[in-house]
Amino acid sequence: MKTGDPGILTTTLEKALEWGRSNSLWPLTFGLACCAIEMMAVQASKVDISRFGSEIFRNSPRQSDLMIVSGTVTKKMAPRVKRLYDEMPYPKYVIAMGVCVIQGGPYVEGYSVVLGVDRVIPVDVYVPGCPPTPEALTYGIITLQKKIRGEATR
Amino acid sequence: MMEFQPGEERGKDGRRIIKVRKEDLIGTLTKLKAEGYIHLSLITGVDRKDFIEVVYHLHSFERNEYISVKTVTYNSEVPSVTSLWKSADWEEREEYDLVGIRFIGHPNLKRMFLPENWVGHPLRKDYDLKNVQYINVDEEGEDYATFDPGDGW
Ligand code: SF4
Repeated sequence: MKTGDPGILTTTLEKALEWGRSNSLWPLTFGLACCAIEMMAVQASKVDISRFGSEIFRNSPRQSDLMIVSGTVTKKMAPRVKRLYDEMPYPKYVIAMGVCVIQGGPYVEGYSVVLGVDRVIPVDVYVPGCPPTPEALTYGIITLQKKIRGEATR
Repeated sequence: MMEFQPGEERGKDGRRIIKVRKEDLIGTLTKLKAEGYIHLSLITGVDRKDFIEVVYHLHSFERNEYISVKTVTYNSEVPSVTSLWKSADWEEREEYDLVGIRFIGHPNLKRMFLPENWVGHPLRKDYDLKNVQYINVDEEGEDYATFDPGDGW
């Protein structure tokens, strides 16, 4: 580069968009139960997801494009979760964090818990654990980024 | 069938447990309140299959001591203690909502957490978990219960 030649990068518009989207995921500030504590740790300095471009937890669904459903979704909360999801602009992604959100978890025999948030809204990445460690959630976010770029494998 | 004997005993932590008949409940609680147990910290309902046990946990700030008063009901009806403690209002509504105890004399005995048209009281032993109910929100923002999983979500 020192010779003064302009650096040239060729790509498709699609790829550039995907790359941009995957590196600027803005999560929604949204915690439902104990898993939310681990989600907060992900944002804090030790694990720090801002290294991957998703540092700012937005307080409005209209400004965010990633919903981390962290914690038990009760039947009473489910219509509200759906509403928040509907208010987010496209493209939008959902990470289901914790066994509660994936299939009911410890409350699977209860009367009040939705057995899997994917009955209410579509989910992109599932992060199992009770609660998942911050590292696991970070891995989930990286997997989602790969998925957005079309590189993810099942 | 379990029998209920009025009397007094000590719990594992040394706490006094007073067992009274339903008719003597208000009298006993009034007496204890006058003795200094002025804080009603909790009301619990226990479904013992044959009867329902209602437990009142009282606290005395002066003595720093807790005390439990137990009573039983065979027809799910218990006199309300809202005349003694205002805080009993929501506690009793919660008991009514989840255990189905009807508090006679309560000013506003409505469900606390679940929608008004929810069928059954979920913490009862005879509650049918197979009959799954769902909750959705109507146009006005009011919750309602439904048996139809396709309704809303
Ligand atoms: S999965 Fe475990 S930690 Fe997470 S919300 Fe459920 S009970 Fe809490």
